[in-house]
Amino acid sequence: MAKQIINNIKLGIFVIAGLIILVTSLYMIGRNQSYFGNNITVRARFTNVMGLTKGNNVRFSGIQAGNVKSVHIVNDSVIEVAMLVEREFQPYIHKNAIVSIGNEGLMGNKVINISTNPIPAPAVENDDLLPVKKEVGTNEMLETLSTTNDNVAVISQDLKQTIKRLNNSAALWNLLNDTSISYNLKISLLNIRSAAVKVNQVATGLNTIVVDAHNGKGTVGTLLADTAVATDLKQAVNHINGASAEADAVIARLDSLIGGIQKDVNNGSGTVYTLLKDTATTNKLTNSLDNIEKGTAAFNEDMEALKHNFLTRRYFRKQEKAKKEAGK
Amino acid sequence: MSQSTKLKSFFVETGAISKFTGWFFHEFLRPRFEAREFLRQCYIVGYKSLPLVGLTGFIMGLVLTMQLRPTLVNYGVEARLPDMVSLSLIREIGPVITALIFAGKIGSSIGAELGSMRVTEQIDAMEVSGTNPYKYLVVTRVWATTLMLPILTILSDTIGLYGGYLGINIRGVMSMDLYVNEVLHTVGFSDLLPATIKTFFFGFAVGLVGCYKGYNSKKGTEGVGLSANSAVVLSSILIFIIDLVVVQITDLLGFN
Amino acid sequence: MDASQNTIISAKDTDNEPVLAVRGLKKAFGANVVLNDFDLTVNKNESVVVLGRSGSGKSVLIKCIIGLLEPDAGSVSVLGQDVLSLDHEGLDHIRMRIGFLFQSNALYDSMTVRENLEFPMRRHLKHMSAADAEQRIKEVLSNVGLGHTIDMMPAELSGGMQKRIALARTLVLKPEIILYDEPTSGLDPITGREISTLMVEVEKKYHTASIIISHDMRCVKITADRIVVLIDGRAYATGTYEELKRSTDEKVKQFFE
Repeated sequence: MAKQIINNIKLGIFVIAGLIILVTSLYMIGRNQSYFGNNITVRARFTNVMGLTKGNNVRFSGIQAGNVKSVHIVNDSVIEVAMLVEREFQPYIHKNAIVSIGNEGLMGNKVINISTNPIPAPAVENDDLLPVKKEVGTNEMLETLSTTNDNVAVISQDLKQTIKRLNNSAALWNLLNDTSISYNLKISLLNIRSAAVKVNQVATGLNTIVVDAHNGKGTVGTLLADTAVATDLKQAVNHINGASAEADAVIARLDSLIGGIQKDVNNGSGTVYTLLKDTATTNKLTNSLDNIEKGTAAFNEDMEALKHNFLTRRYFRKQEKAKKEAGK
Repeated sequence: MSQSTKLKSFFVETGAISKFTGWFFHEFLRPRFEAREFLRQCYIVGYKSLPLVGLTGFIMGLVLTMQLRPTLVNYGVEARLPDMVSLSLIREIGPVITALIFAGKIGSSIGAELGSMRVTEQIDAMEVSGTNPYKYLVVTRVWATTLMLPILTILSDTIGLYGGYLGINIRGVMSMDLYVNEVLHTVGFSDLLPATIKTFFFGFAVGLVGCYKGYNSKKGTEGVGLSANSAVVLSSILIFIIDLVVVQITDLLGFN
Repeated sequence: MDASQNTIISAKDTDNEPVLAVRGLKKAFGANVVLNDFDLTVNKNESVVVLGRSGSGKSVLIKCIIGLLEPDAGSVSVLGQDVLSLDHEGLDHIRMRIGFLFQSNALYDSMTVRENLEFPMRRHLKHMSAADAEQRIKEVLSNVGLGHTIDMMPAELSGGMQKRIALARTLVLKPEIILYDEPTSGLDPITGREISTLMVEVEKKYHTASIIISHDMRCVKITADRIVVLIDGRAYATGTYEELKRSTDEKVKQFFE
């Protein structure tokens, strides 16, 4: 009899332990999935929910805040997602908070992210509709990547042709290789400049003499007191004046010529510009073109690897198929 | 035995089991209730099976974790280990392994016990003693297995999850808090409830088949052995069939 | 069992008041007809031995009487009630008044001797107090000479002791008729004789009629008031031990050789 009672007690403990574990785990799961407790419902409308389903997580700035209550179609282009969000998050989520659909990891479940908007707004209320942001999906990312790849391929093709043309143009190379031309030009320009400076000095000296003479100073002044001499002198001065004006015009013309060259150099146009640049520049240019070529090759390799990656293989196969079909 | 005789005996057996089951439903709600025997059976069937079921559950959790780990590490989703372990344990491995162990231990013992009672005329003696042996022996045992297996499964799942936790910590590091959190996060009502409900059916099948085989045991000690053996075989098969049916139903109901 | 061990009681004071009557009983298992138009009457306080070869359907007869098997045809009347027409409750009620000693004893091997004896009492005598029940158990056990085994398990007892416990279990309900299915089978001759003597003793003490199924002539000789020879499903011959022993019929003579 006593044994029977002990056995029944053991049985009771066994059963109660099982039931407690069951009930506790059900409660914990329920709480985790926001079946009980204090929640508010917020809504958001998408054109594409990308596989989001009931029960997916809702995160507010990365914190688990609730889960998706329902996903239903409003009309052909609008899908409404209702989310249960714990009430403790309510004061932090504003009416203009942005809702987006993202991934938990690269291949994980879909997740709803609610992110704050810097523009102030009142706190969200039950059954509010929040604005959404379109999230880039893996598919779109891969598509963009593919377009970029195509563009790079076109650019590198063009660059290749340009370089080929440059390589094959003998005239250009001769011009670039002949360093004496640019040297001579530089010398002549320097000569013109020094000549112009000298003309200026002469003109200044003459001016001083004329002023002194006008004031009757020095020998020239004495000589000028005599009117005959003065008349002759006046003529001579006039001549000198004419000569200096002519020199001025020459200088101005030279100046404009130099200015033009300078402008061309600064703007990077005209043949002079090319000529002025030395061969190192062309070497550099060739090098950088080489680098671009190498870079595109590496990029091509990367794309090839991506094609064989298990994640994206199917996508690329589809692409190829489509291409083939288009080719037909 | 010719093909047609085999087929015939298969249908005869199926019919007999159905009738036996019908008998259970006819009897199980009518007085008199053999409460004492029921409690005794619960003690034997439930409490006494716990060490065995707990051990297998623990090993399953540990081994499953260690087996899954390399693959998950390959894919770089080692952090998903608790999810995988808890889902596979709770949805499938826990209930089925526990039920199979249960069938091996309890199904065979019920088959042998009732078989030997049949052979030594104890069942007749009971009937003569004014006891409905079906009520006293079968109804109590079927109730006991039906109600005890779910509890055993829950305890086994819990122990198995603890095994999984240890399994993770053999190679990596994960705190108990994080593990529990991950598990609770992963496992939903739709995982736990169908899995728990199906264990009732498993328990019912084990108890009923054990009783049927024992109750209809052939004369002689060989008959007893045969009853025990075929009880285990048939209830194990039934467990898988029920599992198959339940997965279809839960799928149809959208719980998967 | 000490005093009257060797006393052979050949005839009891049998009233001619039938307590059990079997008429035209038929039972077949498939093509194997084991009982065919079998008749039997047992009077109060009378011990009738049904003698027959193994497999001749003797056990089937008493299982039909107590309602464990349903005969194909015929009637069974026990203590004035038609067993075959009784519902479950009525059957339980009549079974309370019939003791049945199984060939294999049928002791519940998961229970102690005490629980084995308690079991039928708990079922049939629901209003009996625990003290009275205890008293009854001890009395019956001492009547079969095994008072000390009360807390032992059946598996701990020898075959002869198990048989005595089984007999004690049929006696706790104070039956009016006891049906014995091969009471001495599987026992050595000495133990067999002890059991046979005990049977006679307790029948006297409890005033019971009995049907004894046997082919053990030593047991038959001790226990039988009257013998019915069962051959081919019929009551082939009937008479006392001495009468049948003198029979010239070949089939009957076989049993006495």
